Amino acid sequence: MSRIRLAKIFLWSIVGLAAAVAVKRFLTGLGATTHLNDSIPWGLWVGFDVMGGVALAAGGFVITATVYVLNREDLHHLTRPAVLTAFLGYIAVAVGLLFDLGLPWHIWHPMVYWQHHSALFEVAWCVMLYLTVLALEFLPVPLESTSRFAKVRRFLVKYRMLLVAAGIMLSTLHQSSLGTLFLVMPFRVHELWYSPIIPILFFVSSVALGLMMICFESLVTGYLYRRKSETQLLATLSKATVWVLSVYLLLRFGDLLVRGEIGALFEGSWESGLFIVEILISAAIPIAILSHPMTRNKTGGIFLACTFGVSGFVLNRLSVGGITMLRVTEASYFPAWTEFAVSAGVVSGAALAFFFAVEHFNVWETPAREPTPEQTPAAAWARAQRLWLGSTFTAGMKVHSLAFVLACSLGFGLLAFGEERKMGVDATPVAKARGGRILRIDGNRDGFHVSFDHETHKAKLGAQESCKVCHHLKKPYDEYTVCSECHADMYLPVGIFDHDFHQVKLGGNRSCAECHPKWRNRSKETVSECNECHVRELQLTVEGAPIQANLRAKATSYTDAMHGLCVTCHTEIAERIHRPEHGKCGACHQVEKPSEEAPSWEKQQLFLSNRSVITTKLLSDKVDLNRYLVEDEDGAK
Amino acid sequence: MKGILTDTTKCIGCNECVLACKRTYDLPADVPRRWQKPDGLSARNWTSVIRRPDGVYVRKQCRHCLEPSCVSACPVGALVKHEEGPVTYDNGKCMGCRYCMMACPYGIPRYDWYSAVPYIRKCIFCYERIKEGKQPACTEACPTGATIFGERDELLEEAQIRLEANPKLSLYGRKDEIGGTSVLYVSDVDLSFLSFGKDLRGHEAPPHATVPYLASIPVVAPTVFVTAWGLSWIIHRRMENQMETSSEGDRNE
Repeated sequence: MSRIRLAKIFLWSIVGLAAAVAVKRFLTGLGATTHLNDSIPWGLWVGFDVMGGVALAAGGFVITATVYVLNREDLHHLTRPAVLTAFLGYIAVAVGLLFDLGLPWHIWHPMVYWQHHSALFEVAWCVMLYLTVLALEFLPVPLESTSRFAKVRRFLVKYRMLLVAAGIMLSTLHQSSLGTLFLVMPFRVHELWYSPIIPILFFVSSVALGLMMICFESLVTGYLYRRKSETQLLATLSKATVWVLSVYLLLRFGDLLVRGEIGALFEGSWESGLFIVEILISAAIPIAILSHPMTRNKTGGIFLACTFGVSGFVLNRLSVGGITMLRVTEASYFPAWTEFAVSAGVVSGAALAFFFAVEHFNVWETPAREPTPEQTPAAAWARAQRLWLGSTFTAGMKVHSLAFVLACSLGFGLLAFGEERKMGVDATPVAKARGGRILRIDGNRDGFHVSFDHETHKAKLGAQESCKVCHHLKKPYDEYTVCSECHADMYLPVGIFDHDFHQVKLGGNRSCAECHPKWRNRSKETVSECNECHVRELQLTVEGAPIQANLRAKATSYTDAMHGLCVTCHTEIAERIHRPEHGKCGACHQVEKPSEEAPSWEKQQLFLSNRSVITTKLLSDKVDLNRYLVEDEDGAK
Repeated sequence: MKGILTDTTKCIGCNECVLACKRTYDLPADVPRRWQKPDGLSARNWTSVIRRPDGVYVRKQCRHCLEPSCVSACPVGALVKHEEGPVTYDNGKCMGCRYCMMACPYGIPRYDWYSAVPYIRKCIFCYERIKEGKQPACTEACPTGATIFGERDELLEEAQIRLEANPKLSLYGRKDEIGGTSVLYVSDVDLSFLSFGKDLRGHEAPPHATVPYLASIPVVAPTVFVTAWGLSWIIHRRMENQMETSSEGDRNE
C-alpha cells in the first residue's frame, strides 16, 4: 500500500473519532467533554486550534509577500501549496472555534454587534476577511480545469496584487492582535511571557513560523507523494528563516532586559524551565541547524529544524494562552482525551482536504513522479467471477468509510465508559481503598481520607443485602453514595457545632470515642453533652439570658442545637412586631474578632472552636427582649 | 453612580446575602463540580462568603469596575457598564468565547459548563431593582450592615470615616485600584486573595494596555497595504527596466 493511502486511512480514523466526540460535545456541552473550568476557561481548543492554527497558517501571507511583492519568481512553485495550506488552515481554525464557542450558532455576531474596544473583535473581522481573500487567491487554481468560469479566473488573476496586499495587511493585523488579546491580562500571564510588545512578538514569530510551515508542508507531502523534493527552494527560505528567528530572539531577550524580568529566567521555577525549553526548540535549535550550509541544504536538516520550530511556536502559543496561568489561578488543567481527539480530528480533516485538492487540481504545477493510485483506472472486472469490483477510487472510499465508522464507534464506546458522563462530579476513589477491615477512603470527595469500617457498616445495614445502599444506587451521573448522605448532620455548612474542628483538635479519626461511646451505636442520641467539656463557656452564656432551658445540650445538629432554643421564638416575635431584622442572624450574633496584636494561639483556638459562644452576646444590655414580649401582650390586650 | 461597601469587620458569615441573591434570581442548588473554584462562586452562586482560616468572613462578588476589563474584552458587546454602576450581561449577544473570564482581574465571571446552551453568569448588581429605585437583594438582606448600598461617593466618604476611626483598616476599590470599582471593601485583613494574590492598588486599568494597539490599526492597515503594493510595483518596474536594458545591451552587441 502506498504511503499516501496509509496516511489517508489513519487520518480518516482520527476524523471518525472526532466525529463521535463532536456529537457528544454539541449534545451535552463543554463541561462533559473538556477539562476546562472556571479558572482555566481557555484550553487546548483555543491554544492549539485557534491561536496555533492561525500562526501555523501564516505561510500563505509570507509566501505571497515573497513571490508577488518582492518578485521572487524563483519561489513561485511554493505559492500554490502554501496558499492552499493557509486557506485550509483558516477553515480548520473556524471549525475548531465552532467546537470551543459555547454558543457556536452565534459565531456571526461580531459582524452585527460591533465592539471596537475588543482585540478579539478585530481578530474576528480580520480572520473572516482573510479567509475570503485566501479563497479568492486560491480560486483560480480549481478554475483552471474548467473553461466555464474563464472570465472570473482572468479577473482574479488580473487583480491578484490587490488580494495579495489585502492579505498581507489583514495578516499583519490579526497575527499581532492575537497577542494583543493577552495585554488585558497582566495579572494572569507569567511575567516571562507578558510583555507590552507581545503583539510584535506574535507577528514576528508568525513570519518565522510561516516560513518553516512552508518547508514542513512541502517536505511532508513530498514524502507522501514521492515527489522530487524542492530542497534548493527550501534552502532559500531557510536562510530567511534564520534572519527572522534572530530578530525574534533579539526582541524577546531585549524585552526581558528592558522590563528587568531577566532574573526570572534563573529562579528555577517550572516556568523558567518552560521558557528555556520553548526558546531552545522554537528558535535556538532551528537557527543552529539552518545557519550552516551543510545542514541547510539537506532535506533531513530542514525537516528537523522545521519540526522543532513549528512545535516550539505552538508551545509558545499554548504557554501564553494558558500554561503559564496555572500557578496564578491555582488551578489544574490537562486536556481531556476528547479535547485531543477534536483538535487532531480538525487537523486531519484539513490534511484530507489538502490531499483532495492536490489530487484534483494543479496545485504543484509539476507532475508527480508516481501517479497516485486514485488516478489509475484499475481492472474493474474480475472476469472469472463476473463481478464488478469497482474502481480503485471507490475501493479507497470503502476503506476510508470503514476506518471512519470503526473509529467513530470506538469513540462512542470510550465516551460511554469515560468519566465524561459524570457531568463534573468527580468519582470517589473508593476503588483505591486501602486496608482490610478498615479502609481509607475519601467518601465525601472533599480531599480528606477517613478510616472507614467496611465490615461494621455492612453488618449494620443488613449484611449481603446492604451493598446496594452505598454502591449500587444507580443515581444519574454518580456511582456511589457519599458518607454525608447518611451522616447528613456531619456536614451541614452552617451551624454552631463544627464537627471537623472538634475531630481535628481531639486527634483526628481516632478521637471519635472522646465524645461518642466506644462500643455502642454512634449517633446524636448517644453522644456526650457539650457541657461535659465546655463547662465554663456554657455557664458564661447562661448568665442573664432570658431563656434558661436545656443548656445541657447535645450537638444534635448544628443549627438545631442552639438555634432551636432561640430562633423559633425570635422569628415568631419578629413577625408579630414587624421588625424582620430581629429574626435574622445579626439580631444575636456580633463580630468579635481575635485581637490583631496578640493573636495568641489559645485565644484564636477558643475563638474558632466556640465562635458562636464567644461571639454571640445575647443583646440583653441593648435590647430587652422581655419588653417586646410585654408590649406585644399589651397590644393583644 | 451607585456602589456597595462591604466591611469585613462587620460580617458574621451568616450567608443571608447569598440566600437573598439565590432567591431573587431563582438560582438552583449547587452540587460541587469539578470545574468550580473553591471560592464558592459559580454560575448558580453569584456571591459567596469566604471563611478565612483566621476566622474573618469576606464576601466575594463582582466588583463592577469603573473601567471593566470584561466589557472591553467582549467582542460583541454582550457585557455593558451602565451609568448606575452595574456591569450586566446580554444572553442574546454572547457567543460564548469566554474572553471576559480570561480578562477579569478578579476572576469573577463563571460559566454554565454543565449546559449545552451555556451562558456567562456573575453578579449583575440587581440592575433591574436599582432602576426601580430599590437596593440590591444582598445589601437589603444583610442583618449587620456589613454590606451596604448607596451612592459611590457617599460610600467612599463613609469608608474614610471608618478608616480614620480604626487605623488598621484599609480601603479597596478607589481610583488607584485598576481605575476604581463600584463595589468597595473596608477590611482589616489583606484582600489580595480576591485578585489572584496580587494587590491591584497602584495598577492602572488593564484595558489601557490594549488601547495603543487598537488605536494604531487605522494607521497601520493602510500603511501596510500601500507599502506592499508600492514595493511590488517598484520592484516590478525596476526588473522590467533591467530586462529592457539587458536586452538592449544584447542588441548592441
